Amino acid sequence: MARQKSVVLAGTASSESPKKRGLSTTGLLPYLFISPALAYLAVFVLVPLARGVQLSFTDTRLINPTGGKSVGVDNYTNLLADDRFLNSLFVTITYTAAVVIFSLLLGTATAVLINKPFRGRTLARAILTFPYATPNVAVALIFIWMYNQSSGVFNQSIAVLGFGQVGWLEDPRYGMAAVVVATLWKVTPFVMLVMLAALQSVPDELYEATRVDGADGVSTFRAIVLPHLMPTIRLLALLMTIWSIRRFEIIYLLTGGGPVESTNTLVINIYQQAFNQQKLGVAAAIGVLGLLLSLVVTVVFFVVDRRATRKESQ
Amino acid sequence: MPRITFDNVRKNFGKSVVIEGFSADIADGEFLVLLGPSGCGKSTMLRMIAGLTDTSEGDISFDGESVNALEPRERNIAFVFQSYALYPHMSVLDNIAFPLIMDRFKPWYHLPILNSIVRRMIRNSPEVKDRVLEVAKILELEPLLDRRPRTLSGGQRQRVAVARALVRDPEVYLLDEPLSNLDAKLRTQMRAEITGLYRKVKKTFIYVTHDQVEAMTMASRIIVMDEGVIRQIGTPEEIYHSPADTFVARFIGSPPMNLIPGAVMSDRVVLPGKQELKVQNIPSVLGGQTLVGVRPETIRIASSAKESVRATVVSVENLGAETVLGFVFCNDANSDSLLTRDNQSTFFAKLEGSHSLTEGAEIFLTIDTTNIRWFDPDSGSAFLDLS
Amino acid sequence: MNRAGRKLGQLASRLLLIAFILIASFPIYWMFNTSLATDSELFGSGQKFVPQLQRLNEVPQNLAEIEILKLLGNSAFIATGVTVLSFILAVMAAYALSRFKFHGKGISGFFLFSTQMMPEALLVVPLFALFAGFGLLNDLTGLVLANTAFTMPVAVFIMKTAIDKIPYEIEESAKVDGCSPYGQLGMIVIPLILPSLAAAAVINFFDGWNEFLFANSFITDQDLWPASVGLAQFMGQYSTPLSTVMAAALVFTLPAIAFFLLVQRQIISGLTAGAVKG
Repeated sequence: MARQKSVVLAGTASSESPKKRGLSTTGLLPYLFISPALAYLAVFVLVPLARGVQLSFTDTRLINPTGGKSVGVDNYTNLLADDRFLNSLFVTITYTAAVVIFSLLLGTATAVLINKPFRGRTLARAILTFPYATPNVAVALIFIWMYNQSSGVFNQSIAVLGFGQVGWLEDPRYGMAAVVVATLWKVTPFVMLVMLAALQSVPDELYEATRVDGADGVSTFRAIVLPHLMPTIRLLALLMTIWSIRRFEIIYLLTGGGPVESTNTLVINIYQQAFNQQKLGVAAAIGVLGLLLSLVVTVVFFVVDRRATRKESQ
Repeated sequence: MPRITFDNVRKNFGKSVVIEGFSADIADGEFLVLLGPSGCGKSTMLRMIAGLTDTSEGDISFDGESVNALEPRERNIAFVFQSYALYPHMSVLDNIAFPLIMDRFKPWYHLPILNSIVRRMIRNSPEVKDRVLEVAKILELEPLLDRRPRTLSGGQRQRVAVARALVRDPEVYLLDEPLSNLDAKLRTQMRAEITGLYRKVKKTFIYVTHDQVEAMTMASRIIVMDEGVIRQIGTPEEIYHSPADTFVARFIGSPPMNLIPGAVMSDRVVLPGKQELKVQNIPSVLGGQTLVGVRPETIRIASSAKESVRATVVSVENLGAETVLGFVFCNDANSDSLLTRDNQSTFFAKLEGSHSLTEGAEIFLTIDTTNIRWFDPDSGSAFLDLS
Repeated sequence: MNRAGRKLGQLASRLLLIAFILIASFPIYWMFNTSLATDSELFGSGQKFVPQLQRLNEVPQNLAEIEILKLLGNSAFIATGVTVLSFILAVMAAYALSRFKFHGKGISGFFLFSTQMMPEALLVVPLFALFAGFGLLNDLTGLVLANTAFTMPVAVFIMKTAIDKIPYEIEESAKVDGCSPYGQLGMIVIPLILPSLAAAAVINFFDGWNEFLFANSFITDQDLWPASVGLAQFMGQYSTPLSTVMAAALVFTLPAIAFFLLVQRQIISGLTAGAVKG
């Protein structure tokens, strides 16, 4: 309240002499515009978040969502010693790393391939974006069927080549790969689209200059394309990381966290603790730790990005 | 032996023909300028010489051997781009060294760790380093070697682009409007530097521009182009004094050559307003209507009314050392001509010194008839000297 | 690099691109193919690679049996609600962030986008508890409310980027003519950013359309299932033929793809405006 008052005073004082064109500092008006959105988020994000943090210090069960006694930091200490939790942390990191690295590689490669105009390019680009437009549930369903051990198309195809049947979703050795592949199918087109936009901002004359200087494709890529793409790559790495930490449907429907918890990421773990084990307090604690992880990642990104941007422009 | 030969080169983009039937010979060591308005195809022509664009038809040969199938690097040319095309993420030194590094690059050097080691080795090897420093010295770039292109001024960037071209000691230098992004003062300075460079390296320079001043001052020969067609090939003097058609006549010279419609008689020409101009040695092939090509500098203010034409002043630009006079012809006193100011085009005279004349004043002008160029009004081509 | 090398490189690129296109389109094609196969083919003799188009006319009936329309209707309800609510909140917030300077602007912006970082799973639990208290649990409206918190910031981002691109002079002249800021927003800015608004609407719509986690956690009444939950449930059951589930999945997918294609250009420019630097 006090803050608002001082702003109003500052606002009215300076309303006689608007400082920057286009940016008005007149008192209440901006707040009127932005407060619905902020209030909404306060109610539906801040409050649950606070409640979640509060829950994480209790032993609340699903049957009685509002009851539950405080247990201090027990949930947290137990988790950090719990193999299951540590496993889910490890799984999350593995899954995220795999998705980020391969989506960036494949997405950039596809963008490079489709950068030069050719007949049918619009159609090709459209088809390449279909996976991204497909709903997560549909992606999961079709991949479940394709991964089916006895009748799925993958196993049927490799049977022709003489290989046996692989339990893509049942065998702990393949579970993670199966989930990563399904994720990549859905997510790579997004990387491609963003990279494509970045690629198209490279001036043609630069490519010509490398031809004159005798550089081959790879050298050209290294010399002018890759440096140009670096800021975009960094941003995409952040987005992909955050999204991987959050991803639920595909993993949940494909493997439910199995087989033998080989794909049990943090969010799957949260879901299980909350709705299977019925331990809301523990689930909340995992959630808070997951949020901290995201925050750390974001901070790291900003630091790295700022440093790199400074280096690039000196 | 002609150094570069064009044999009926043609270029289409889809259905539209950008360059038609272009044939020419460029001698070794020439400073050849491709001159023409925007969109005439000169940059396309240059890129075809470089190998950056393919020809649709026809042959380009270096020293008699066709280079159509050769990539730019294989043609041993250097290209200075209009926007300089400096590698933004490399220092000036790396920009200049890049062609040399690429020369020494083998395909397997692309392996990950090997790549950085090899590149550093090549970069620091004496041949490369010494050559780069040598070139940097010539273009006075030594203090800038560690800077990024982003931090350089236009003129500095241009010099880096030239250095990068120079470093490989190519046989042919191709320059695509290199001065058009610079301000006027810098342009004059860089013009001199490029000419100086040309004299020093003594190689063939092919230079594209739309600026006729650059062409006239730098070229040993000029190819004037318009809409994909060669209008004239010649030395600056030839282009200036003996333009092959009305396009060339009006493209060169500031103000451009006057093309005065006239009727040819045996010993004189009847100008607008039925004024008569006595001309010696009228070529006998002429007859009927013609366009009389008169350079503005050959028109003077008459000392007397005899042997002169009457004109009305339309505009006066007093530039101190010279005055540009815009005028229209008056009706001859004895004729029934109905010429008015509004139904004819303005012609220009370039007078030496400072003149103050008032608009609308009537004056008398003499035209030096020894330097007249005759043009066919229908085709635009000049009647060539028959003497 | 010589001409021959270039041509070879081009050929390899072309082949690789074709491979990628096949990979991208295969699963969707397979969805279609599976929707036309019988159980005996699928689990017995082997699924044919060529779609059995003769069974195409059986599909609508199969879909009706699983009440696809009700499922899609619920999805549509959620998606529409999310879009409308997000729009209202986002438009004003985007305008404020773009045009005004005020204390707490930076924090507000950060806060708005913080939800993008947050795993929904974290909020499922407390929202579950919260909704339980207000009786919003088994309620589609509850889902709308929960989802909007996540979709609205995306809309703000897209709209703000679009508003940034419009020169302020137009609104200034309206201001001089006596137009209020609300008027400026409604009568001048909104008409000018319609393409971005459409893109934001489409993105929001499909966030609501695709959403699974909250729906699965909060809705127990089968009649209220959106298609995402319904499909997931059917997959596990043996009573529903796989072909029907696939047909339903395809019907669930196609609107998303169609609309995405329509507004593709807008979405890309909206998303990449901030992302692409240099």
